[in-house]
Amino acid sequence: MRFILRRLGFYFIAFWACITLNFMLPRFMPGDPVSRMFARSQDRMQPEQIDQLRRLFGVDDRPIWEQYINYIGDVLTGQMGVSISRFPTPVTEVIASQIGWTILLGGVSLIIAAVVGNLLGILAAWRRGGLVDSGLPPLLIFIGSFPYFWLAMAALYLFGVVLGWFPLRHAFTSGLEPGFTGEYLLDVAHHLVLPALTIVLVSIGGWMLGMRNTMIATNAEDYIIMAEAKGLKPGRIMFRYAARNAMLPAVTSFGMSLGFVVGGALLTEVVFAYPGVGYQLLAAVQGLDYPLMQGLFLTITAAVLIANFLVDILYVRLDPRVRTS
Amino acid sequence: MTHPRFLRSVRNAAAVLSLSVLVLTGCSANPPSTSADGPERTLLTIPREDMGTFVQNFNPFSPTVAPMTQQAIYESMLIYNPADGTTTPWLATEWEVAEDGKSIVFTLRDGVTWSDGEPFVGEDVVNTFDLQREILGGYDYLDTVTADGNTVTFTFTTPFSPALFEVGQQIIVPEHVWSAIEDPSRETNAVPVGTGPYTEVAQFQAQSFVLEKNPNYWQPEKQQIEGIRMLAFAGNDGANLAAVNGDVDWAPQFMPNIEETFISKDPENRDYWFPPTGAMINWQLNTAKAPFDDVDVRKALSMAVNREQVTSIGMTGYTEPADCTGLSGAYENWKSDEVLADCDWTEYNVDAANALLDEAGYAKGADGMRTMEDGSPFAFDISVGSASSDWLSVANVISQNLADVGITATVDAPDWATVVSGYELGEFDTGIVWSNAAPTPYQYFRGMMGTSTVEAVGEKTFENYHRYGSEEAEQLLTDFAASSDEAEQGEIVNQLQEVYSENAPAVPLFPGPEWGAYTDVNFEGWPTEENPYATLSVRAPTTVLLLTSLKPASAE
Amino acid sequence: MTNSIEGTASTVPQRTRPPSGSRHRGAIAGNDDGGATPIAGPPRRPGGSLVHGLLTNRKAATGALILGVFIVAALLAPVLYPDDPSRITALASQPPSSDFPLGTTAKGQDVLALTVHGARSSLFVGLTVGIVATFVGLLVGLASAYFGKLADDALSLLTNVFLLLPGLPLLVILAAFLPPGLGTVILVLIVTGWAGSARVLRSQALSIRAKDFVAAAVVAGERPLRIMFREILPNMASIVMGTLLACVIYGIGAQAGLEFLGLGDVSTVSWGTNLYWASNDGALLVGAWWAFIPSGLCIALVAFALALINYAVDEVTNPRLRKVTFRTGKRQADPTDKGKASA
Repeated sequence: MRFILRRLGFYFIAFWACITLNFMLPRFMPGDPVSRMFARSQDRMQPEQIDQLRRLFGVDDRPIWEQYINYIGDVLTGQMGVSISRFPTPVTEVIASQIGWTILLGGVSLIIAAVVGNLLGILAAWRRGGLVDSGLPPLLIFIGSFPYFWLAMAALYLFGVVLGWFPLRHAFTSGLEPGFTGEYLLDVAHHLVLPALTIVLVSIGGWMLGMRNTMIATNAEDYIIMAEAKGLKPGRIMFRYAARNAMLPAVTSFGMSLGFVVGGALLTEVVFAYPGVGYQLLAAVQGLDYPLMQGLFLTITAAVLIANFLVDILYVRLDPRVRTS
Repeated sequence: MTHPRFLRSVRNAAAVLSLSVLVLTGCSANPPSTSADGPERTLLTIPREDMGTFVQNFNPFSPTVAPMTQQAIYESMLIYNPADGTTTPWLATEWEVAEDGKSIVFTLRDGVTWSDGEPFVGEDVVNTFDLQREILGGYDYLDTVTADGNTVTFTFTTPFSPALFEVGQQIIVPEHVWSAIEDPSRETNAVPVGTGPYTEVAQFQAQSFVLEKNPNYWQPEKQQIEGIRMLAFAGNDGANLAAVNGDVDWAPQFMPNIEETFISKDPENRDYWFPPTGAMINWQLNTAKAPFDDVDVRKALSMAVNREQVTSIGMTGYTEPADCTGLSGAYENWKSDEVLADCDWTEYNVDAANALLDEAGYAKGADGMRTMEDGSPFAFDISVGSASSDWLSVANVISQNLADVGITATVDAPDWATVVSGYELGEFDTGIVWSNAAPTPYQYFRGMMGTSTVEAVGEKTFENYHRYGSEEAEQLLTDFAASSDEAEQGEIVNQLQEVYSENAPAVPLFPGPEWGAYTDVNFEGWPTEENPYATLSVRAPTTVLLLTSLKPASAE
Repeated sequence: MTNSIEGTASTVPQRTRPPSGSRHRGAIAGNDDGGATPIAGPPRRPGGSLVHGLLTNRKAATGALILGVFIVAALLAPVLYPDDPSRITALASQPPSSDFPLGTTAKGQDVLALTVHGARSSLFVGLTVGIVATFVGLLVGLASAYFGKLADDALSLLTNVFLLLPGLPLLVILAAFLPPGLGTVILVLIVTGWAGSARVLRSQALSIRAKDFVAAAVVAGERPLRIMFREILPNMASIVMGTLLACVIYGIGAQAGLEFLGLGDVSTVSWGTNLYWASNDGALLVGAWWAFIPSGLCIALVAFALALINYAVDEVTNPRLRKVTFRTGKRQADPTDKGKASA
């Protein structure tokens, strides 16, 4: 319990430091959203409109400490203000409307990559020197070495444009009514294949190698030798004895990756025009949309902290050594 | 106790995995989905390349309004078409500018109704201008707006003839709807009521939405298409891909190498037209700084730039080199023949540039590079926002050109926010920049060389970043504003061009092209160079002309 | 998880996590002291054995060979292509030919020249980021482990805050302050990258700090710096090496990702900017694969080479991971390992 409280205290401080940084960073940025908008629209905006927009968005010229106190209060009550690039939509609404797709994409690819990667890792460690052990790791490392966006674009052009197997954009076909119908769910799945596949391809190697190496270490433990000596079935030893103990680091990685799902797939979303928060973050940065940026940081930070906290709790349950230290 | 629970969760995860594998393989076995975007498309499908997702905001006073609000939902009293210089009466049938240039009377069209069936009246116009000024400000010259039956009278505090187009192209919103809205600046207007041809929002999703026919449109015979579907894209790439693949009918975004990427896939049906009717794109030199305060230097730099190369490489040949009038293709009718006949400083001429620079006292050193009078190297930055890749190429070409005359120009490409912030405060050397665009050249020349727009370095300004002012030009601009006679205005603009050509306040590069490509597989009646009834822009006032001209392609 | 800027922070822990996960299984901090680490190694391992091991490892040799080719190409770039590589020299969008082995871009630049010159900036940024980020991480990790208690708490907090910081907006902000250029990109990647290595190195340093020979050195009254660098550091050689390689991979990949988004310095020639321009000029739309493939492949090959070396480092320092030449179809107890561990 003491351990949990200590961690809680730590996360609280980390959270405070992060939101304070979030508060300060935009205020160091030169230029303001209106000028940025003007430059982007180029000749489509008249100079007169700049002043008008500044007035519309409202320039905050209160003392900085007052703004800070106000900001902390807003954060604690979940008020993130109004987005500038999506004016006058509240930031919470912008995030809420898109986070689902990001979680779907990030979650599905994380689960597939982690589960398949770990299974391959177990297999490789168990059959040392076999095909899975000697052939797969270099191949996966090589695929994982490609820049992510490069692989995504290549997949998009090859499977989307040239072969026409998969849709080129969006999370589902425009005009399709969202709902729990077979047609809609299949359509969503169809749109998910390419983006998820590219994420899985680049990340699976890490999972596999991590699991394989841990398993190899575990296989040398005395209790495995003991189990073998007892004449237990190899399959039982592999999964109930070795894999189960080698699972700890993988669980940690999984928990941490879970936290990064929210901020994760920025480039995927851009390449596949997938409606999610990653792209929104890029747009917010490019449009100097401070409120949206801060809202997104906050969401990402919170997701990471919560995921880490869950891992901590899981650890207390899974690894008795933590409780005593 | 913990382990069984843990294993259970692993088993659950495995179940999820096998399920998703099922789903994935199940559908990858399917043939490519034939979607609503299939061959029998009845909705005019248009990509929006700079919005990754849409928000249901149809408030025309909002800077982040959903696309097509100001084009398909709301309309203005008149429409000016820069492609052919004509003005089309729209919600107003005629107008009268007073002799002294201090008032305009618009006569509104009879029989126009809002999409909810209410009649369109003068009060709507009055209320719109109240709202516009309350929410966004502007129209500082406007004194009063009064409605009387079907006429609306605008009076101004000073004579201001360019007001006709500014006031006339203001989109009008219904008074009976907006008077009930408490905070119009924060209204999202999710269910808009307008006079435009396509007002009914359907299927609003973050990635696409549809606008269907206005049931009460005043020209029902012109609503030939079923509706408009907008698709959201996070960047040009995705939008271009959609166009190339034939998933959209109209592609109003920049497309690299369009002949190969787009046209060649279906030359029978696809075409593009990039009229040079956008704003003049300039290489601006900070005239508040030496040596750019020297007109000879400005002209020499201008002659050192190979505009053919700039337009062919930087702009992939989509536009044409600028001339000494500094006016874009939108002002073709205003151009002075005399200035054009006597045009030298926008022609590529390395020898003349070298001679002029030698003469001005920036001699070449032993290494072939020029130095300033104090012996420091003649070197400066060209600022351009990193997001504008085409302009970045332009800057790179200029930098290579300048190396040929012994000048070191470094391309500085941070984020646009930084670039513009430098422009606004006058803290830059040179930069690639747009200019004011409006139906008459008044705004353009005011921002280019009016003294009223010049601010000191360190003071913020939103136009005339290069900080050049001419008393003579300012006087001509005042005269122009006070004149309502077209011939007289033409004469004044000729004189403005002479002042411009003489002083070279900036280095004009090329007129910005208005992107537009289309396929007539599903719809026909697109404007072309031969029939320029509108440009192919989806964000211009002329867009509604296009929407009311397109027809479903006749079955063959 | 990926080697681009896909959530820079996520990249770091995943990438810097050397394949042997059991060394540091902690969540954000604290519980990863690795009490039962099976491969904590002997108290003092002569640094030479690592080098020797690598020299005889086939994976390391392959990796070093690939990396060497690229380094030579980068060094020779000014000799091979003395002209500015971005200079327009030919017709646009030419497929590979004898004059231009990799064709030309949509602007008429020689793709091969761009690719060779691109190696300079990409390798330079990657190596600099890798070295500095590892060094900063090492300092923090060692200080954290040696001083413990309050210093450890403070440094861990700092590390974790940086791990959480979204790297992308930070880059834009810093880039706005600093003149655009490689320096800015390097600085930003270091700022966003060091925390990951700090965390890995800290947990390893902590487990070594707990060993008897360190306690002995403390009792003997050796100076903190000496203990940190002469006692603890030599025993972390392999993990430092692994972290360094991972940081270099991260640096190259993240630079390419940022430049691809147009957030780097688009006026320099690097693999990332080459891809940025290829995408901007619609290289794939017109089927100009030759403008798109070389730079991506180069990044992949360099990252692959580094990963191979990393893999080899693990094999050398952890003999159990070595390739087995005989096997019984079951798990095998690795006698070589036992021998090593007691050496």
